[in-house]
Amino acid sequence: MRVKRLLVLGSLIVLVLTLSLAFTNGALGYYPLPLPGVRLLASWYLYTTLNPWYPMFTVMSPEAVTAIVWDYRGLDTLFETAVFFLAIVGALALMRGVSLKSVLNNGGDKDKGGLSLICKTATRLLTPLIIAVSASIALHGHLTPGGGFQGGSAAAVAPLLVLVIFSVYFLLSKGVSEKPMLILRTAGLLGIYLTALVAVLAGLLTGLNAYVFQNQPKSSAPIGLPAQVSNTLISGSLFFFNVFEYLAVAGGFTLVFILLSIPEEIAKSFISGESHE
Amino acid sequence: MIELNTLTYLFMAVAGIISLIATYLAVLENDLVKAVIFSALQSTVYTILFYLLMAPDIALVYIPVAVGLYPAVILFLIKKTERTESDLKEGRGGSK
Repeated sequence: MRVKRLLVLGSLIVLVLTLSLAFTNGALGYYPLPLPGVRLLASWYLYTTLNPWYPMFTVMSPEAVTAIVWDYRGLDTLFETAVFFLAIVGALALMRGVSLKSVLNNGGDKDKGGLSLICKTATRLLTPLIIAVSASIALHGHLTPGGGFQGGSAAAVAPLLVLVIFSVYFLLSKGVSEKPMLILRTAGLLGIYLTALVAVLAGLLTGLNAYVFQNQPKSSAPIGLPAQVSNTLISGSLFFFNVFEYLAVAGGFTLVFILLSIPEEIAKSFISGESHE
Repeated sequence: MIELNTLTYLFMAVAGIISLIATYLAVLENDLVKAVIFSALQSTVYTILFYLLMAPDIALVYIPVAVGLYPAVILFLIKKTERTESDLKEGRGGSK
């Protein structure tokens, strides 16, 4: 297919040339790289993100990106999380009633299949490392680049590796099955909602004014989450949001991969069996 | 001595060209598994670009999603269908 090959190559070259022309003529401003200075909005965020002398506006987190994601623009992230979990609910609804527990109990061999011994040993060594790195990305999300979603998606790579290199039955025999992942995901989501509402709940109890998604105290709402716990910076709600998002994302992705890896025949037998009942 | 800014530009240009080649190979590859690997290569180069453009947060989420999770989803789907594009295979036989 020489014509197709030329068409693909031609369209890619035209795309690159058009974009380069646009950029050299100032489509992104005259600096394709980030400017050495910062824009007005960015300088406002950088000025207030960790500023104990400016308590009405600060988030008490040196990581401006996480501060924007979970505090300045926290509601956006909440709805993003909701969209992601609606997608997982869709996957769960498609595979409802399909369970690998019964297959594992009668005949599914956990040591059968998978890749070579070298791959399996390497995975055994790598999996704890991946979990440790992902946990550090999530738990340090308010101090260094990273956060709940980044850490959670990195953590989901570990069960995925086990799924591909061992087998789905091996993963299930280790206790990583649909139900615990569903519980993990639900606990994470509940934690996110509670963290968003904790200031309001405290306000209801004490009779003071408070807002949903409140982090640090504001002038009209004196209730806030602690920025430090025994001299360690946790940046109020950011730390809790990161931890719960980490659990929810890791659980959700793992759940989807377990569902995707169910062999077609087993899923079919479950779904057709259900229709006969 | 090359200036640091020029070096960054140069590195970004090389990364961009590698990603372009990977895209071209991924589009034209008949074997879908190989196409996914080319797509993952393109994502790896994009991660370098994100890092050079001073977006380490995006780079951190791009590595697991674009190199780990997304190719895995596509590979699971390929396992449920054909590995090669059969209509293209006939066309390739004619042109050679």
